[in-house]
Amino acid sequence: MRLEDLAKVIRSKNAGPMHLTFDLMFDNEAAYQRVLQSPAMTPAGIAEAYSVPPETVTIVPYPPALAIKIAMNRKVVAGDPGDRDVYGAQQHGPLLEIEL
Amino acid sequence: MSAFFRLRDEFARARRPLKVLGASGQLGYGLPTKALQEGLARKPDCLGCDMGSIDVGPYFLGSGELATADEMMRRDLADVLVAARSLDVPLLIGTAGTAGASAHLDATAAVLREIAREKGLHFKLALIRADMPRATVKAAARAGRITPIGAMPPLTDAEIDAAGNLVGQMGTEAFCRALEAGADVVLAGRACDTAIFAAIPSMLGFPMGPVMHMSKIVECSSLCCVPGGRDAILATLEGESFVLESMNPVRRATPMSVAAHSLYEQSDPTAVAEPEGTLYVDRAEYVAVDERRCRISGATWETARVPTVKIEGARMVGERAVLLCGSADPRFIASAHERVEEVREVVRGLLCGDAPADYNLIFRIYGLDGVHTWQKPPAIPPREIFIMGECIAETASRALAVMKTTKQFLLHHGFPGRLSTGGNIAFPFTPPELTGGPAYRFNAYHIMEVDDLAPLFPIEMEDI
Repeated sequence: MRLEDLAKVIRSKNAGPMHLTFDLMFDNEAAYQRVLQSPAMTPAGIAEAYSVPPETVTIVPYPPALAIKIAMNRKVVAGDPGDRDVYGAQQHGPLLEIEL
Repeated sequence: MSAFFRLRDEFARARRPLKVLGASGQLGYGLPTKALQEGLARKPDCLGCDMGSIDVGPYFLGSGELATADEMMRRDLADVLVAARSLDVPLLIGTAGTAGASAHLDATAAVLREIAREKGLHFKLALIRADMPRATVKAAARAGRITPIGAMPPLTDAEIDAAGNLVGQMGTEAFCRALEAGADVVLAGRACDTAIFAAIPSMLGFPMGPVMHMSKIVECSSLCCVPGGRDAILATLEGESFVLESMNPVRRATPMSVAAHSLYEQSDPTAVAEPEGTLYVDRAEYVAVDERRCRISGATWETARVPTVKIEGARMVGERAVLLCGSADPRFIASAHERVEEVREVVRGLLCGDAPADYNLIFRIYGLDGVHTWQKPPAIPPREIFIMGECIAETASRALAVMKTTKQFLLHHGFPGRLSTGGNIAFPFTPPELTGGPAYRFNAYHIMEVDDLAPLFPIEMEDI
């Protein structure tokens, strides 16, 4: 099962120019728990999908919204020469394909 | 007597719920008028608008220019100014003119004065500046009171001097001072989004947890609804709780949609750091009032031991030129990255001889990895690719020379197996090289500890 088959929302966006964040939202408790408990949903699993050091990845569940927040350092500061996504709104691609 | 003083007098006589209208989360991009009118019909006690963000990148902060179109900004400002004055309630606008430096604040204030003159409006205006005195920031850096955010390097004197503009995010206290000085309209430079909405309820004695939580949500107008949108939103503060309702009837504020908004553009959905303290929403409760309204309670506020200011700066890094072209040749597409690297070397040799490049040449190949660095190439190669060349050089003419040379050699670059000898790339129009103006990068994004916030955010009062 892939993450895109279970989530209602998978999105990315900057939280300031130094951080990239991802929101995963679910429309039922079972899907939320299934994803939360997957070995892919760990800093190591996410770091592998994004080729970043695992210690820069944080994962915070937010039960009131059946949501998971992932945050990591941006590889390039937003708007620096060579940046390819100033708002960070199109960096969710690898998450779609994550196998749970 | 100012609109706020009247409100405070009324609350001193008898307390009641406070109605706060989040008129716009991005003033200047076009305000949905119908929802604003609906909001005004509810007789709100104050109007707040956020007018800026750091999301738009370093150019606007560094250059002092606005990201919004002049005519649209004028229209939006007129709408909210006329609305607030017709109800005679306070209007608070944060992060004037995209980035909130003096250049942005003054440009926005000039438009506000013109509108007032045209419409015959009279009021007391407060301007709050947010430019950080460089000497103060340098002294704080030397005293070890400045901490980088994320992977930002420590702030040096050289970077402080190089910033085109250096601003700090003001907190609630700055808006409170302006209201205390008798302002009917507050136009603030760089400000925390929450501060715009938190000032009035905090001065009326509402508890800070729910006040800050409400402010955090309504600063994005109806984005917390399903479907999310940019229409005005009404928050009714009851004390320990508040009720949210979008002023567009199709948008519903549901417990799930409002809770989910806590995640938006935050690194941590449970804690929001502000100059004067931290908002915690981990124990917040979201309960449906009806299909379209949600009641929220349970957020807590912890006052900071030492106040802090988030500093933002952007410096110029050169002049930019770009090249726009595409390819539909499968042989070129299959080896596009190698080919552009070969061309890069040819161009360097022509322009620099034996010396290293005195410019930064960047290729983005859309169709392959123009947006994201994929771990693997696509399983099926794309039929077409778009190539954007970008050069940042010391002068605009140098950057354009690099792009023009790159264009010609990319067009005619030979490679093994080439069939399409008429040219490797297609141009959508000519000239395909465009001058992009000065390029900037963020060079300050730090937290500064301060003893007293007020001197950093001076207020100018003006009778309009």
